[in-house]
Amino acid sequence: MTQIELRGIEKFFGAVQVIHNLNLAIADNEFIVLLGQSGCGKTTTLRAIAGLETIDQGDILIDGKAVQHLRAADRDIAMVFQSFSLYPHMTVFENIAFPLRATRMGSGEVDKSVREVARVLRITDLLGKKPSALSGGDMQRVAIGRALVRRPKAMLMDEPIGALDAKLREEMRAEIKRLHVKQGSTTIYVTHDQIEAMSLADRIVIMHEGFIQQVGTPDEVYSHPANLFVAQFVGSPVMNVADAAVAGKASFASVIVGDATTGFEFPSALLSKLNGHAGGQLALGIRPEGVLIRRDAADGFMAVETQIVEPLGSFDIVDLKVGSKMLRARTKSGFVSGPGEKVFARIDPTQAHFFDKASGKSLEVRL
Amino acid sequence: MAAVRTTSEIALNRIAVVSVLIATLIFLAPIYWIASTAFKPKELAITVPPTVLFQPEVTPFIRLFTKRVQMQKAVDPQVYEAAPWWEKRIYDGGERVLKVGKDVQLSQYPDRFMNSLIVAVISTVLAVGMGTFTAYGFSRFKIAGEADLLFFILSTRMLPPVVVAIPMFLMYRVVGLNDSHIGLIILYVAFNLSFSVWLMKGFMDEIPKEYEEAALVDGYTRMQAFFKIVLPEAATGIAATAVFCFITAWNEYAFALIMTNRRAQTAPPFIPSQIGSGLPDWTTIAAGTFLFLLPVAIFTFLLRNHLLRGVTFGAIRK
Repeated sequence: MTQIELRGIEKFFGAVQVIHNLNLAIADNEFIVLLGQSGCGKTTTLRAIAGLETIDQGDILIDGKAVQHLRAADRDIAMVFQSFSLYPHMTVFENIAFPLRATRMGSGEVDKSVREVARVLRITDLLGKKPSALSGGDMQRVAIGRALVRRPKAMLMDEPIGALDAKLREEMRAEIKRLHVKQGSTTIYVTHDQIEAMSLADRIVIMHEGFIQQVGTPDEVYSHPANLFVAQFVGSPVMNVADAAVAGKASFASVIVGDATTGFEFPSALLSKLNGHAGGQLALGIRPEGVLIRRDAADGFMAVETQIVEPLGSFDIVDLKVGSKMLRARTKSGFVSGPGEKVFARIDPTQAHFFDKASGKSLEVRL
Repeated sequence: MAAVRTTSEIALNRIAVVSVLIATLIFLAPIYWIASTAFKPKELAITVPPTVLFQPEVTPFIRLFTKRVQMQKAVDPQVYEAAPWWEKRIYDGGERVLKVGKDVQLSQYPDRFMNSLIVAVISTVLAVGMGTFTAYGFSRFKIAGEADLLFFILSTRMLPPVVVAIPMFLMYRVVGLNDSHIGLIILYVAFNLSFSVWLMKGFMDEIPKEYEEAALVDGYTRMQAFFKIVLPEAATGIAATAVFCFITAWNEYAFALIMTNRRAQTAPPFIPSQIGSGLPDWTTIAAGTFLFLLPVAIFTFLLRNHLLRGVTFGAIRK
C-alpha cells in the first residue's frame, strides 16, 4: 500500500524555475507516466521524489508522511535509470543483491531473493556475467531486477527503455506492463514518448515548461485534451489544428477553416455549446481519423484536392488542401492513389475539439 | 580499414618499428650501463673502451651493504680460510669488514633505502588519498569559485620547487621538522597533492554520477556509495596517480639533500655522497643505484593492468 502525494512543489535551478506549483496524488498500485518534452521538468520531478534532487517549496508525501527532508536511502524507493547504471565491477548477481546488502540481510536470504527476481525476469543464466557482457535488453532487465528485489514502496523509472532500439523497446514495453500487472507496485515512469505513455499508463501526467498540463487516463488525454499543447503532443499522427470561424446557418453551423471559402457542416448545437466564444478567436482541432473522406459527393461533404500521400502500412495519411491550409486525413491504405485527386471531405463533429486561441484552453465542446 | 596495405604503408610501418626500436635502445642504454656496472669487477668499471663481456660478480652488492676499512697488510691465511664466501670477496679487494664482536656492521645503505621506502610509500598514500577525496568533491558538488580553487591548487606547481628550498629549510629548522621522516612526507604530499587532485578530477569526471545515484536510491549513504562504487570504478585512475606520485617522491633529490643529513636521509642524496673519499667506487655506487631502480619498476609492473585498462567498459548506455 503506497500512496504518493506531491503538494505545491516548486523547484529552481538558479534563477530558472523548472517546476511550478505541482500537485499530484498517486494512488496505490497506480502506474503513472510523466510525459513531456525534454526540459519540461518531468525528470526533475522524478528525481525529487527519489531524493536525488532537493525541492525549494512544497511537500512530498509517501503514505501521508512528508519525506522531502529524508535522504534517498531512507525513502524506500527504487529507481531505474535511462543509462541502467549497472555497477560495472560487479556481476549481475552482485548488482541485484546490492540493494539487499544495504539492509544487512542474511546471505542465504539474499541469494533466495536474487534468484527469485532473476526467475521472474528470466535472467537466471546471466547471474554470473558482468554488465559489459550483456545486451541492451538484458541490461535493462537487470536494472529492473535491482529495483524490484527490495520490494520497495514505489518504483521510479526514468526513460528506462529510451536507450534501446525500436524493436527491443516494444518488447520491453510489454514486459514492463506484464511485470506491473504481476508484481503490482506504485510506479512513476518518465518518458517523452507518447506511445509508451499511452500503452503503459493508468494515468498520464502531461508536463510542459514546469507546469502540469493535464492529468488523465490515456483515453481522457487522447479524446479530451485540455489544451492545444496536449492536443498536439499526444497522438500520432499529430492532430490537425487550424484557426476556425463559426457561423450560424439555417439548419447547421458552418465551421470555416483558415481562409477557406466554404465551411464544414456542424450541428447547430455547436453554437450554444461554444457558449459565447463563437465570435472569438477559435482554433479547431481534429485528429486525422476525424477527417472523413469519400470519392463521391454527399450531403455535408466538401470537395477538396489531395496533396501528399504518406503510406504507413496499415493506413495512409493524406494531406487535403482546404483553402491555403492542409488538413491531414487518415484513410485506408491505397484509398487515394496520389496528389491532385479530387475527393470529398467532412469533419466528424463528435471528434472535433475547439480551443480558445488566446489561452490555448479547450472549450470542452462535446457534440 | 583497407584489407590490403600498399607498399608505401608497409615501408612506413617498418620505419616506425625501427624508429621505436632505436628510441627504446637509447632510453635503455643508461639502465644497461648501471646494471652492467653493478655486476662488474671493480677494475673493469673504468676501462676505456668499456668492457662489455665479463664474468659477473656480486661483490659490489656485498660492499654496498657492509662497512669496510682498507687493510694495511695482507690478511692472515687462516682467517681468510675461515671466512664465509662473501667476506673473502672483501678481503680480495684489500679491505676487511668492520665488526662489533661477531656482528657484521652494515653500511648506511639499507637504512637510507628504508627511509626512501617509508617516505615514498606514506607520502604517496596520503597524496593519492587526499587527492581522491578532493577530486570527488570538485567533481560532484557545486563549489563556489571552483575554477579559481582548482587554479590555485595547480598554481603551487608553477614555481620550481628548489626556489622555495631555502625558506622551507629555515621554517623546518624552527619547527624541528628538518631531518625527519614526517618533514619529508609533508613536503612530498604538498608537492604531489596538486598533481593528484587534477589527475583524479579527470578520472572522477569520467565516472558517470548515475552509479552513485543508483547506490543512493539502493539504500546507501554517500560515503558508502563512494567506497563501494566510486573507488572501485576509480581504481585505474588511482593506480596511475599513485605510480606518478610514487616516482616523484622516490626520485626526489634536491629537498632530500637540503632537508636531511642523517636520520631521515633518503637514498638519492646518499648514493652520490659515497663518491666522496679517495678513488670513487663506481661498481658499489652502480649496485646502489641498480637496487634503487627496482621498487619503481616492480610497483609499475604490478599496476600495469590498471594502467592499461579503460576507466569504464560499457555498462552505461548514453
